[in-house]
Amino acid sequence: MDKVGIVGYNQVKLYSDANYGRYEMIFEAVRGAIDNAGLKKKDITTVISATNDYYDGRTISNCFTVEVGGGYLADESKVEMDGAHAMLYGMMRILSGNHKLAVIWGGSMPSCYPYHSTRLYETDPTWERPNGYVNDITASGFQMRAYMDKYNLQTEDIAKVAVKNRRNAAKNPLALDEAQNPDITTKDVLESEIYSDPVTELMVGQPCDGVAAVLLAPERQALKITDKPVWITGVGYNQETYYIGERELHTSNSMEASAKMAYGMANINDPVNEIDIAELHETCAHEELIFAESLGLAEKGKGPEISSEINGDLPINPSGGALGGNPPCAAGLIRVIEAVKQIRGEAGTYQVNGAKRAIASGQIGMCAQNNIVYVLEGGE
Amino acid sequence: MGRQVAIASAGFSEHASKRSDVSMPELAQEAIEDCLKKVPSVEFDDINAYVNGNMPAFEGSNLPELWMTDWMGARNKPLMRVTTGGTTGGSVAIAGYYTVTAELPGIDTVLAVAFEQQSQGDTSVGLASVAYGEISILNNLGIPYDQLNRLLSAGAAIGVAAYQATTYMNKCRITEEDLARVVVQNRRNAAKTWWAHLKMPNLTIEDVLDTPYVQYPLRYGMVCPASDGCCAMLFTTEEKAKDMCDIPVYVNGVASVANETAVLGYDGGGSAQVDPSVQLGAMKSAELAYGQAGISFPRKEIDYAEVYAPFPNQELMWVEKLGLFEETTAPEMYETGVTARDGELPVNCSGGVNSTNAIGASAMERPATAALQIMGKASNQVPKTVHTAIGSGWGGSLNFITLLAMSDEPRRRFT
Amino acid sequence: MSKQTQRKSLDYVKKQYKRTRTMPASWYLSSYNYKYNITHFQPFLEKLKEKKLIANQCSSCNRVFYPPRFVCGKCLVKPDRWVDIRETASVATYVIAYLKDEEGNVQEKPMVLVNHDGADTCSIAMLEPGVDVKDTYIKMPIKAHWKEETEGGLMDIEYYDVMEDDAEDLE
Repeated sequence: MDKVGIVGYNQVKLYSDANYGRYEMIFEAVRGAIDNAGLKKKDITTVISATNDYYDGRTISNCFTVEVGGGYLADESKVEMDGAHAMLYGMMRILSGNHKLAVIWGGSMPSCYPYHSTRLYETDPTWERPNGYVNDITASGFQMRAYMDKYNLQTEDIAKVAVKNRRNAAKNPLALDEAQNPDITTKDVLESEIYSDPVTELMVGQPCDGVAAVLLAPERQALKITDKPVWITGVGYNQETYYIGERELHTSNSMEASAKMAYGMANINDPVNEIDIAELHETCAHEELIFAESLGLAEKGKGPEISSEINGDLPINPSGGALGGNPPCAAGLIRVIEAVKQIRGEAGTYQVNGAKRAIASGQIGMCAQNNIVYVLEGGE
Repeated sequence: MGRQVAIASAGFSEHASKRSDVSMPELAQEAIEDCLKKVPSVEFDDINAYVNGNMPAFEGSNLPELWMTDWMGARNKPLMRVTTGGTTGGSVAIAGYYTVTAELPGIDTVLAVAFEQQSQGDTSVGLASVAYGEISILNNLGIPYDQLNRLLSAGAAIGVAAYQATTYMNKCRITEEDLARVVVQNRRNAAKTWWAHLKMPNLTIEDVLDTPYVQYPLRYGMVCPASDGCCAMLFTTEEKAKDMCDIPVYVNGVASVANETAVLGYDGGGSAQVDPSVQLGAMKSAELAYGQAGISFPRKEIDYAEVYAPFPNQELMWVEKLGLFEETTAPEMYETGVTARDGELPVNCSGGVNSTNAIGASAMERPATAALQIMGKASNQVPKTVHTAIGSGWGGSLNFITLLAMSDEPRRRFT
Repeated sequence: MSKQTQRKSLDYVKKQYKRTRTMPASWYLSSYNYKYNITHFQPFLEKLKEKKLIANQCSSCNRVFYPPRFVCGKCLVKPDRWVDIRETASVATYVIAYLKDEEGNVQEKPMVLVNHDGADTCSIAMLEPGVDVKDTYIKMPIKAHWKEETEGGLMDIEYYDVMEDDAEDLE
């Protein structure tokens, strides 16, 4: 596969109730990304956006964002999944040879609508929606129970992940204020409000307002634009079946298949030793453990034993992950940006030393039905 | 970078105003079966990846591609969803093309599916909510709701089309009879297409002009219907396509360019397109797509065109803007039969969007029909041999145009 | 297309499909709060109160935007200059919607897009109450008619008066 480089990025600070309008946020993210990379509007040849009609309360949610997103007279399209999937489409456009610079942006503002109720519309209208038992929180409850049951784990093991991520988020200036808890303990997490047993409030990433943007370019142009390009050496994406009753909830088949595709492209045979850090998009704390096992970073059931602190053997989510703020449609893209920051050495107080090869993931659907994984390499 | 992409097959489901006998996954399955029926050597295991799209506001289901995973045969396979409003079908076809040409290891054959089941929801709410955000700003700033209601009640897309109609008619001095003639040609063509919605084999110009006005200058008889339906296309590499079908259709050029917002503008800003019939987006799309496909003289080199036109004035406008005819000569071409089925440059022999409009799928049905005409397997096949064809799509408020240029020879230039 | 636009007078070859199960559901758009920012409008609204019109201009492409715009799409920058703009304008395009009012009668409701002299964009407006929209034509000259008491909102321009057209070749 030819090389595609990430040459710039920008992310707005996450707020639970931002004082902006939608267009300002998008303009800030896209213009900031272009300015940081030292480029101009006329260099843009294609723009891919990631928004969702239901989360934005309007049909064709990218319709009026053409001007602020830099899409005027540029080849433009929209992927209605996570921001990380929009980056996949942008990557395909660069690999085709038709385009020289792609702008990827995604995000939404859940302070405008009740986010968890909107997730109900993803359920099957003939069987699941009438009884209303399945929504994203109860589905994660099913998943957490299945995982703990299969491998004999306790809720403390899951709560430790929430504690680690929230403490990491306290070092990340762009994470959500409410999620920056430097002194949190497992007791706090377990005693917080129960959303759907065994999932408690502090184990769930809070939906918040945010937009992020990334710039992609082919190899030759990337080397001219910046002297620290980060190369995408592998990508894998996969979707498993829909009905929760037909899936194996204690593991993630789609993440395993995506990892196989991505590792095959990037020539990785021993993920534990070859990957330096992982930024995984986890909407609930237990998903991080399930994903880490499916990615081959630990044996099945041994997820809690990975030393995933910032100064550990294999840091996972040094920026706090989606528990540090989950803007729908932007969270996956922010994970990619955080991985890029680590590789370029721009992560500030939560920098992991010597990070050269990273994984970033995104997901969409109940219990992560569709997963996407990137392998990113760079640095000298 | 990149490789040649070929279309091996295309399929449709039956379109009707209410497909009350199927749910959305079953509708998609109908089209996929029709598509794979034409290439009997392809099994579901041979399909490596999927692209799916529709406009979710009309059915009340968010992310329906998650629900229809098994019906499409996509279990444990890569899948991407692309939606861009009225041009969703065109964007899905273009995404299918990019997925194959990106040369990701293991992804050679891609099935692209675009569908819509509008009877499940309230179409006018779905369309009106495009602009709710901007309308509420203008309302807050003082414009009374009554005035804004006029804008919304007539439906966002028809409003834009009516503005285009007045500016176009001003430039070209066409009459309503010219518009009715386009409608009659489209509906009679649809009568010979098995999957179309409004089949009217005996329609005349007087019948069309006998209906009341919807928005001046458009009448009820000229307006497109609201249909339920689905369309599927199979994209693959050059080598595999030769095994699958007799005449693979090569996708040589793609473009999907947007202009600034028309009519309402964003954030209360008003419209940037003072003259909507200029269509900068269409001209730029045509420039990009023809450049990639190596087409220098569209009028001579293109044998067949499927132009997305829910309203007849748009068909006249776009056959000019896409370079097929000279400015202001389009009405004459329809009068003299150049665009008829047995004419020099047939246009919309499937009936076009004027006869069948399943919003999510219609922008894909245009390149799909054009591809089938090249293969010789279309429902209303034209008598001449078609070598090069184009299929276009249009999206409402922005004048966002998707364009695919296809041919039976691989002519895509690689740098 | 709403149900209003489906053909009742033209016959077409129609096939009936047997109905299977149905489930009721709804998309409650009324629970959405749309957030937006109008700080780029503030100077404009203040001047409206004084019965003066201003517009903003992008300094890299020199396009003038009336009503004021947040970002210039061509250049991807914020317009930074404010300029005065005249009250005279011309009709950019017009449309007549046929809608049913409360009693069920179909009424004509005209709408125009007006383009002020000196500006490069247009906005929605209404014409003088007595004018028949069918008499209008593209580029017809009109002038803003102010309301008696201005409030600093977009309705301070109540409607547009039709002016004398002294262009030479008029059909």
